[in-house]
Amino acid sequence: MATYILRRTLQAIPIIIGISVVVFAIVYLAPGDPTARFRTPKVPPEQIEALIRAYGLDRPVHEQYISWASTFFQVWNPDAWGYSFLSGDPVLEKVLYRVPPTLLLMGSALLVTIVVAIPVGMLAALRQYSLTDKVITTLSTFTYAIPSFLVGAYALYFGAVLLPELTNGAIKFPSFGMESLGSRGDPLDLLWHLILPVLTLSVISIAGWSRYMRSSMLDVLHQDYVRTAKAKGLPRRAVIYQHALRNALIPIVTLIGLSIPGLIAGAAITETIFTWPGLGSLFVEAVGTRDYPVVLALTMVGGVAVIAGNLLADILYGLVDPRIRY
Amino acid sequence: MTSDSDQTIRERWVASPSPAGGGTTRAGDPASSVDEVDLTPVRTYWELVRMRFRRHRPAVISVFVLAILVIYAVIVPLTTGEGYKDPNIRKVWDPAEIVITFDPFTVEAFAPLGYDEIGQNVFVRLAKATQTSLVIGVAAVLIIAGIGSFIGAIAGFLGGRVDNLLMRLVDIVLSLPVLFIILMIVSFFGTGDVSVVIIAIGITGWTLAARLIRGEFLTLRETDFVMAARALGVHSRRIITRHMLPSALSPLIVASALGVADSVVAEAGLSFLGFGISPPEASLGNMLNNAQTYFIRAPILIVWPGLVLILIVLSVSFIGDGLRDALDPRQKIESGS
Repeated sequence: MATYILRRTLQAIPIIIGISVVVFAIVYLAPGDPTARFRTPKVPPEQIEALIRAYGLDRPVHEQYISWASTFFQVWNPDAWGYSFLSGDPVLEKVLYRVPPTLLLMGSALLVTIVVAIPVGMLAALRQYSLTDKVITTLSTFTYAIPSFLVGAYALYFGAVLLPELTNGAIKFPSFGMESLGSRGDPLDLLWHLILPVLTLSVISIAGWSRYMRSSMLDVLHQDYVRTAKAKGLPRRAVIYQHALRNALIPIVTLIGLSIPGLIAGAAITETIFTWPGLGSLFVEAVGTRDYPVVLALTMVGGVAVIAGNLLADILYGLVDPRIRY
Repeated sequence: MTSDSDQTIRERWVASPSPAGGGTTRAGDPASSVDEVDLTPVRTYWELVRMRFRRHRPAVISVFVLAILVIYAVIVPLTTGEGYKDPNIRKVWDPAEIVITFDPFTVEAFAPLGYDEIGQNVFVRLAKATQTSLVIGVAAVLIIAGIGSFIGAIAGFLGGRVDNLLMRLVDIVLSLPVLFIILMIVSFFGTGDVSVVIIAIGITGWTLAARLIRGEFLTLRETDFVMAARALGVHSRRIITRHMLPSALSPLIVASALGVADSVVAEAGLSFLGFGISPPEASLGNMLNNAQTYFIRAPILIVWPGLVLILIVLSVSFIGDGLRDALDPRQKIESGS
């Protein structure tokens, strides 16, 4: 196992280098001068020259790339990711500050998805071709086609506009942010703020996961060992929970790893809709204001998350399925 | 794979005896006599595809839905021209109105969906937005199919080191955080520019098509007809374009159908975040964004662009499903159905 992880990590290195080249090239080729913001009549040209030299913008491309890429993995060094053009803060600090809200949002959404999708998919599989199954399958097919921002916009409307109107303000979900003014650290308040964005993120993944769970469960139910278990007179409960379910969950486990990058990207839109202070909304802000160091750092974080997610999926698969040998 | 099985299917149908021959009968049919002739028509591959597609009911319904959307997106902007960006201060937030004077038949006002915050006709604007989305979807898919089949074909045909190298490229593109990259390209190289949006979606989305084409080519490479073409000394480029690509068409078509849905959603997401197409130009995403800003005043406006978007995505993916089933020659057609 250890050698497998090591080998996979080594294989990821050229891919990470490839990603960094692509990301750097996009920023490098972007039209417009990074110092354009300073070119006002008040700033003397010598200072702009000094700025260009200070940022190393006068050096050839490959030197710029190497000096950026070589410091990227020095995470212990607070200056490693450079400074935000906008606020002047170290980028690393800025990014780290946004990690906990994103993890909280993603984790909650993942939890809700698992808790709902697995029983729903199981139910559909156990009653294949019944009305319940048809309703679940149809609903999940249609829900899966709805783009996340649409769900977000509708959730915001229902939770923050329609419900308060209908209940005369008794139930009013907060429409933005992570905490109400003056109630920092109050877990109930945080939970209240979490509901709408988590709902938005999980609705679509529940649709996808339950379909996946249904087909995985159906696969298992048709296996010989399930028939054997039934034939030897085991109670239905034991057949389902001990023989079928445990094996049906194996492919689901890999979904957890594979959905992490999607959750980061999907969260970019959801976080923006609900102004959740996470990585995704930071990226949207940074890209809009052309804050290049922040954009570069976050895109790299996103790329590493994709690779780590894939690796995690494979490792989990090996852990839960004893038939897999590395 | 396709061409091979295509051949067998055609042979099977063609092999059914012609009435003139009058010889063979259906084997295993107890009621058959020497005079009875198999009248099963000779069907080509594409006729069979059409038959199989018709059996996929959601796909057939989707073709109609999509056709209606396309007609709406073509006709309304044609008849109203630039009308979709005309503000009208007297009609701000006006509800639906349809005014037709029958004496000299003229349509004075046709706004079944009402007006928005600056008095633009929502029905006309939605038509233009649908058009924008469909154009972007189709154009992005042309790029996706182009790059995908080019890279997939070269990797699958040449194999070996080239294949290895190109597949590493696919791995890199697959590992990119796609939404972030699209946002970067669109925001840095021209917010609001339709062609930048198309290119951004296209150059990040070709990996599935490339993988499918490559897989198909790896098997096709070993088939007899490709071997024969090689033995005859046909130029590689000609083998790829004339012999192998047509046989690898079905995965490309399926990947393209899925690509249209993804591209339409990607554009709407971009415009929704304010990076894609910006007003006064119309797109489903920016209409949604706008509706969200004013949804306390006019909540209904968020429904229309969302509905069109869902209809496009659903119908395109059902058509993709239908095509996948129909293009697979291993699917049987029961006679009489």
